[in-house]
Amino acid sequence: MNSQSIVLTLLLALCSPFAWAELAVVAHPDKKMISLDRAQLVNIYMGRYRQWPDGGAALPADLKDVKERFYRALVDKDLAEINSYWARLVFSGQVSPPVQLKSVTQVLEYVRRNQGALAFIDEADVPDDLKVVARLTEAAPQ
Amino acid sequence: MISRLRPLRTRLALRSAALTLLAVALLGGASMIGALLINESRESAKQYQRLNELLDIIEQTVQVACFLDNRELATEVANGLLANRIVARVQILHGEGILVERGQASDRSASEPLERAVVSPFMPSEEVCRIVLTPNKDEIRNAVLEASLFTAAILTLQLLGIGVAVVLVLIKVVTRPIKILSHGIRRLAAEDGQKLDVLPGNEHDELGRLVSSVNGLIDRLMYALRSEREQRLQRELEERRYRSIFDNVEAGIFELDPAGRLVSANPAFRRMFGLNPKVNLDIRVVFLRDLTGDAQVQLDTALRCLQADSRPRHLDVKLESNNQIRWLSLLFNRFEQGRMQGVANDITERHLAANAAEEMAVTDALTGLGNRRGLSRRLQAAVRVYQSDPAYRCTLIMLDLDRFKQANDTFGHAVGDMVLQHVGELLTELVRKADYVARLGGDEFVVLLDGAVRRTDLEQIVSRFIKRVNQPFVVDGQTQVSVGASLGIAVLGEDAGTEEVLLHMADGAMYRAKQAGRNCYRFHQS
Repeated sequence: MNSQSIVLTLLLALCSPFAWAELAVVAHPDKKMISLDRAQLVNIYMGRYRQWPDGGAALPADLKDVKERFYRALVDKDLAEINSYWARLVFSGQVSPPVQLKSVTQVLEYVRRNQGALAFIDEADVPDDLKVVARLTEAAPQ
Repeated sequence: MISRLRPLRTRLALRSAALTLLAVALLGGASMIGALLINESRESAKQYQRLNELLDIIEQTVQVACFLDNRELATEVANGLLANRIVARVQILHGEGILVERGQASDRSASEPLERAVVSPFMPSEEVCRIVLTPNKDEIRNAVLEASLFTAAILTLQLLGIGVAVVLVLIKVVTRPIKILSHGIRRLAAEDGQKLDVLPGNEHDELGRLVSSVNGLIDRLMYALRSEREQRLQRELEERRYRSIFDNVEAGIFELDPAGRLVSANPAFRRMFGLNPKVNLDIRVVFLRDLTGDAQVQLDTALRCLQADSRPRHLDVKLESNNQIRWLSLLFNRFEQGRMQGVANDITERHLAANAAEEMAVTDALTGLGNRRGLSRRLQAAVRVYQSDPAYRCTLIMLDLDRFKQANDTFGHAVGDMVLQHVGELLTELVRKADYVARLGGDEFVVLLDGAVRRTDLEQIVSRFIKRVNQPFVVDGQTQVSVGASLGIAVLGEDAGTEEVLLHMADGAMYRAKQAGRNCYRFHQS
C-alpha cells in the first residue's frame, strides 16, 4: 500500500465512523481458545503450514463474497494475484488452495462440521457458537 | 631486407602511407589495449546488471518456492537461470540449509557472487531465503575478447583502407604531379628561356608555387646569362680594340716585372729593340737592360728610383745596330704589384734634327766653317779646361784678308764669296783635325790651335799660310784673284786667361800687323 492510499484511507476513516469494518476468522466450536496472529494466518491460508499451533490439520476456507476483502486485509493482494499464486502451484500437487464456499451459511456449516476448519466472515455474521481466532481490521473498500 | 625496403625510400607515396599506417597502427594498438581494459570492466558490470535483471525476473517465483519450501519449483528456477551461459552456479539458501544448488564454479573463474535476500511474498518483513548467483567469468572474458576481436578486425580493415587511400591520394595529388614536373624540368630548354607549365588544377597550391619558383629561377638565370654574355662581348670588343692599338701603334709598349724582366711587348717595341716577333716572353727570359746597350747603368738607376717613389721616369737611350744609330725615348710608369709599364718612342729623327740645328747654329753657312757663336763656345770650353788644368794652352790666330774689298768690288759678291770659301779651305788644310777654324764675319777668320805649340812651329804655320793665301787663284775658270792676309796671335794661358781678353789681344796683334804693312803676322806683346 502506498503512502497516498494510506492518507486517503485515513481521511475516509475520519469522515465516516462506519468505514471501519472488521473481518473475523472463525473456527470449530470445540476449538480451544486459540488466537492466531497474522503470520500464522498467512501460513495457513497460503499453504505453507496447514497446521494449527497446537497440532492438527488446518482446513482453511474462502467465502466468495468476502474473499477479496479478506486477502486485501491479510496480504494486501487482489484476487488476480492470489489466483495466479495458486495457479503456479497447482501442478506441483503438494499444496492446494483453500476450499471455495459461496455463502455464509455454507461457511458456517463447513466450520461446524470440520474439527480443523477455519474461515473468515464479516464480523457482523459471527454466530455465538463459533470461536473467533483472529480479527482483521480492513480499510474502507476502495 | 634493405632491398625490400627500397620502394619505401624511392616512393614518396609508399613511404607516406607506411608512416601513416605505422602511426595509425600504434594509436590503434594503444586504443585497443585501452578499449580491452575498459571493455572488460564494462562488460563485467554489464554481466552483473544482467544477472540482477535475471534475479528480478525470477524473484517472485523464488519467493513462492522458498515460502512454501518447494524444492521442485526452486529447481526449475535454478535450471532456468543456468540456461543463461553467464550464470555458473545457482544456490538457494534456506535458513541454515541449502534448498537447491545447481551448476559449478571452478576456482579459476571464480568471481564475486551475486547474493540477494528473498522475502516472503506476503510478508515483506520476513526473509524466507537467500539466492546466490555466481557469474561465469570465462564467459565474460570470452564476450570481451569477442568484442575486442571484432573491434580489432574492423580496425585492421580500416587501417588497410586508410593505407590504400593514402597511397592513392598521394599518388594522385603529389607523386604523379611531381613526376610530371620533374620530367618537364628534365626536358626543359631553359637556356632558350622556355618556361615550365603549371599543371592544371595546381595553379594555387604548393606545386603551382614550385613551378613559379622554378620559372623565376630560370628568369634570373637567363637574365644573368644574358647580361654576362653582353659584358663578355663588350669586354672582348674592348680587348680587341686595345689589342689592335697595342699591336698597331708606332710606339713600343712593354711591361716589366719588378726585376726588369720583359713581361710583354708589342710589335713596335720588338721592331725597335730587334726582338723576334715570335719570341714568347712567358717562356724566354729577356731583361730590358740587356737590350739597351750602353745605357744599362742609367736604366737600372731609373727603374730603382721608379720602384722607390712611383714617379714616372724618362730615359733616352742610344742603340747601335747594323751600323745604324738610333735614339729611343723610354718613359716608365709604375703599374701594380711592382710591375712597370713603359712606352718607347723612336726619336732618332728628332735627335738628328736637333743635332743639325745645333750644328747650323755654330756653322758659317757660306764656308761651312764655325761662326762667331761656335768660336765662342769653343773658347769657353778651352777656358774651362785651362781653369781646371793651368798647364793647358791653346793658340788663337785672328786673320783678316787684305785686298778682299777690292776683289769684291771688282768681281762682284759671288766671286767674293768664292774667295772666302777658298780661304776657308786653305785654313782647314793647314790645321790638324782637333783644331778649329771659324769665320767671324766679312773677311775675318779665326783659327784655334788646340794644345801647346812651339813659337817656331807656329811661325812656320802662319808663314806657310800667308804664302798660300798670296798665291793667285782662278775663280769660275776665268777670273784670277789674289788676296793677302794680316794675322794677330795670342796664346791662352800665356797672354790671357779669359775669352774676351784673348780675343781682344789677338785682335790688337792683328791690327798691328795691318799697320806694319799687311801680309804679315804679329804676336801679342805684353
